Amino acid sequence: MDVKVEGGDEFANASYEKICDDIFRDIGLRSNIDRAYMYCNAAEHVFIISVKIGRVPSPVKVWDVTQREGDKLRITDEKYAPKLLALMWDKYGDRVQQISRLVIGFELKEEEIPDFNDLIVYDPREDLNTRVLDGIDRILPEGARVRYPMPSTEGITIIASENQIAEEWKEKAKEIMRKMASSKADGGA
Amino acid sequence: MYKIMMFTGGVYKFHELKEVIEDIGGFVLQEMVMQTETMMHLAFPEEEERRIRDKAKELGGKLKDLPLAGAEIMIVVPSLGKHHAVYPMCDIAEFLRRKGAITNMMGLARGVGKRIAQMTVQEKAIIEECDAAVFVLGDFKECIEEKAPKLCESLNVPYMIVGGPPDLDLPHYVGGVGRRTRRMNRKADIDKLEEMTAEFKEVLGGRIEEIEEDPLAASPLFVKEMIEMTLPPKAGEELPVVIHLDGLRVKIEEGDEGKIRDIEIGKRKLSEISEIKKSLYEGYLVKILTEAVTGGIF
Repeated sequence: MDVKVEGGDEFANASYEKICDDIFRDIGLRSNIDRAYMYCNAAEHVFIISVKIGRVPSPVKVWDVTQREGDKLRITDEKYAPKLLALMWDKYGDRVQQISRLVIGFELKEEEIPDFNDLIVYDPREDLNTRVLDGIDRILPEGARVRYPMPSTEGITIIASENQIAEEWKEKAKEIMRKMASSKADGGA
Repeated sequence: MYKIMMFTGGVYKFHELKEVIEDIGGFVLQEMVMQTETMMHLAFPEEEERRIRDKAKELGGKLKDLPLAGAEIMIVVPSLGKHHAVYPMCDIAEFLRRKGAITNMMGLARGVGKRIAQMTVQEKAIIEECDAAVFVLGDFKECIEEKAPKLCESLNVPYMIVGGPPDLDLPHYVGGVGRRTRRMNRKADIDKLEEMTAEFKEVLGGRIEEIEEDPLAASPLFVKEMIEMTLPPKAGEELPVVIHLDGLRVKIEEGDEGKIRDIEIGKRKLSEISEIKKSLYEGYLVKILTEAVTGGIF
């Protein structure tokens, strides 16, 4: 993930670059975001952040997070246990029981197993937008509560301020969006 | 004036140190015995430091100077949201505690932003109950320059501002901290916190000098001892009496206020030599009047 912050003084730019980096890492999005660009104008209290979303991991299926042991399944990644159990109980009801914390017993016919293995436990695309917006919300200064979101096919750009957002900043945001879109070709936003 | 230090060491002959403190007219402010280890905050007349040091050496313990002891400090941040808490406010508070201060933390209700930042009258009154305040602000020079005077200048207590930009023309400003996403536990961070403490000592020094020039009717340490004789701390209660530079915060129940008023300090009652009022934040505040106002108490 490339992060660039401009507009503030040297200290603020360096500090916000670190904040962007740390926050996207904390919420597990660092590998899903190609570029993040932030423009800070503290004098007029306008902050523009633009995020370009890159590759998103493929959906997590039952066989990705479990290991079969006869008529039992051992959960290999506990993080997915609640979602997995909810999904199985929904689909198979009483035929699935949780034997211990990480072991699930099932009474399924052999021909049901392939379908069962391909069930999607979690699709990272489902809550990608929510997580990106949460990250942006944590990065932008808390006082900048007036927001103007500008979604695009590749990501999102948000203008934030404590004042009314003027046309000139919307134009600036559009320019940033254009640069972000073409950043793959020329390598700079 | 009293000097406040921290003793750490074993329990062997520990009571002898306490006896020495009593003999020289000192006080034990806090005491914690953890199996074979002890930690004690002690206050004693400055001129008797040699005796305490000798005794500590004899017992094989260590004495550490607590430059900010005897002060209750409010750490103020623009909000308690994840943008301002927990780093760096907790690191700053923790560091001031290690230097002997008692710290409280406060997030302002409407402290965020630049133009919209403000402080309510009640918040100001709560901050002024403490001896000093530390404002922890963010990264942007323009924001700090605009909001710092709005928030801090009207305060009647000494204050320090901690922010991001390294050089700002503001009184008692320490830069280089700003917004953080992780603990300040690296060498450079600790040096910064040391620098901040040195600046804070200066801020507090002015207030201490003022009190020395116009001394109080009784030392808060002595008043604390007398209060604890009347209302002994309950088991498990932590810091029921907090010392201020010019008084105390006494955490008691509503019905006990009368008992506090009648405590005898020398020949006078506590209510005669101090102003007692309910704190907006916690307990009761006892503000000791100066000797010039009350006259001698012995």
